[in-house]
Amino acid sequence: MIKKSSLAVFLFALLLSACSAIDVAEPILVVPENEILEPTSVEAVDPVSTEVLQLEFVDDLGHTITLNGYAQAIVALGPSSLESLFAIGAGEQIVGREEYSAYPEEAIDIASVGDLFSAFPLENIVALEPDLVIAPQIIAQENVEALLELGVTVFWMENPVDFAGLFDQLSLLAQLTGHQEEAELLVESLAARVSAVEDIVAYVEETPSVLYELDATDPINPWTVGPGTFIDTLIYMAGGTNAASVLSSDYAQISSEAVIEVNPQVILLADAPYGITPESVSARAGWQVISAVENDRVHAFDPLIVSVPGPRMVLGLETMAALLHPESFE
Amino acid sequence: MKPYLLGILFFLVFLILSVTNGAVDIPFSEIVTIILSTLGEGDQFTQASAPSIAIINQIRLPHTILIALTGAALAGSGASFQGLFRNPLADPYLIGVASGAGLGAVSAMTLRWPEDLLGYYLIPTGAFLGALLTIWIVYRLARVGRIVPLTTLILAGVAIGSFASALTSLMMFRADNQIYRALSFLLGGSTLSGWNPVLVALSYLIPGLILLSLLGHKLNILQFGEDQAKSMGLDVERAKTTVLITATLTTAVAVAFSGVIGFIGLIVPHIIRITWGPDYRHLIPLSILYGAGALLIADLLSRVLLAPQSIPVGIITALAGTPFFLWILRRAKSEVFW
Repeated sequence: MIKKSSLAVFLFALLLSACSAIDVAEPILVVPENEILEPTSVEAVDPVSTEVLQLEFVDDLGHTITLNGYAQAIVALGPSSLESLFAIGAGEQIVGREEYSAYPEEAIDIASVGDLFSAFPLENIVALEPDLVIAPQIIAQENVEALLELGVTVFWMENPVDFAGLFDQLSLLAQLTGHQEEAELLVESLAARVSAVEDIVAYVEETPSVLYELDATDPINPWTVGPGTFIDTLIYMAGGTNAASVLSSDYAQISSEAVIEVNPQVILLADAPYGITPESVSARAGWQVISAVENDRVHAFDPLIVSVPGPRMVLGLETMAALLHPESFE
Repeated sequence: MKPYLLGILFFLVFLILSVTNGAVDIPFSEIVTIILSTLGEGDQFTQASAPSIAIINQIRLPHTILIALTGAALAGSGASFQGLFRNPLADPYLIGVASGAGLGAVSAMTLRWPEDLLGYYLIPTGAFLGALLTIWIVYRLARVGRIVPLTTLILAGVAIGSFASALTSLMMFRADNQIYRALSFLLGGSTLSGWNPVLVALSYLIPGLILLSLLGHKLNILQFGEDQAKSMGLDVERAKTTVLITATLTTAVAVAFSGVIGFIGLIVPHIIRITWGPDYRHLIPLSILYGAGALLIADLLSRVLLAPQSIPVGIITALAGTPFFLWILRRAKSEVFW
């Protein structure tokens, strides 16, 4: 049952995303004139067939790419693209992934082209004979140029910093791979979940200040997220404020003094997988006076649901909102 | 003659191994047909698939040649620096070239992305300019009138080099998006591929290496000490400056295209010296020859040890170079000539 208010919010969200400032791509569907069209509707065309469509897109670097039909041999160079492709049902069309992209589980079976820490794995990518390489923002321009020179089609995408951008990207990937219907359904359900959270958050009484701790190898100056990141956006959408809003970088260390002064009411430990516990946080010098520590609102948090700008971000939002407002979510 | 012949053989063996091995398995016979058909300017001789052709012609061949040039440049300038400073610990990065190039490269990465005027030559240009600027500052700091006291040069180099490294770290710290690129450069890795960088590097390195080889005689005389050399008729300051500038520029070009790769410039000249003596007229050309081969080995290992992943070359040279050098040192039965 779709509540009327949720439907209204969802339609509004769709409208918003259509007018989104992040104009990621201008798809032009060009049908060659001398081809005989199937008399049935477009939806009935088998997404695997490649005779009819000629696709043209402009990526975020300004390059125009053309595809003859939907991409069938994709190399995804980042966890977000891999995850998104699987989410829209294009998992079978992927032939290569980056070494450390391992979600969902079925992705492990896909050949790895290596990692991005050392020399860019040109050879491995070319050897897979991809018809499309999805390159996230972290891929350097020279490497994109090198692939282009070798005749490989590369689509470079900036990381989305909010849900509108994420939904745009999902639709775009769908248009590249022929899964428009699945993507539409996915975006619908994700948007519905997002607006469900927003609805509840609109009525909560407090807006706790949140410290999202990324890394505490230096416990006196833990790493956290600054304004402008997707995680920062999530904190606000989940009905909180970012304790580290004073920072000027996307990711930076914040001093214990600044933390104590801001006095966050909730601390989320994204470094919990690395052994940081609420007890170790309260053991830090001076941290006992922090509201979050006093009120036992220091929680472990799975970083993987918010660090990869893919569909799981919605789960991240829901989890975060539930931790920030436990009385409003069950 | 023997060391040269052996050196050429060594170089050719590893050149071939480097081209025939990589993360992707391409049969040797296929590689031969690809190269033949490229030389014959036609695809008639090969039935290899398009990706294989692209891999060999556009990725492996230019990469191998660039690596060989880099190894040659680093070892050649390393030998020259050891002669110039009369110090066995001298390496091409002694007076701050690596730190300066690193700073230039990381600056180029963080300040200009993604609006690149020079396209992907921005990083090598940045690295080269960074190296030049650093050397110029160091040289000016150390120079007293017409004379460049060597100890002062080293001290100034260490100081400015540390400063440049610190600035580089700060920039990497602030520009989170570029961290992969920066690390890749600083550990030794070229972000460029294809033939264009090779041709540019060739045009700088060939004259540089030839000039270094011709300076061997002057370096021999310098080994007696500056006063002694002056009384033997050598224009000491001019010789020092020539060696300094040539070796530095050669190193800067090598670092600009291949990142910071250590140990080749230090260890290869020593191995040559222990095996075939300290005559710089031969030491420098032999270092160039064997340096090329040595870096080819390191690069080969970096690509095949953990395939499909590749390890940064700088790590391989550091890991492999030191134990090998210790082994050579033990084996040397006669005196070690500095």
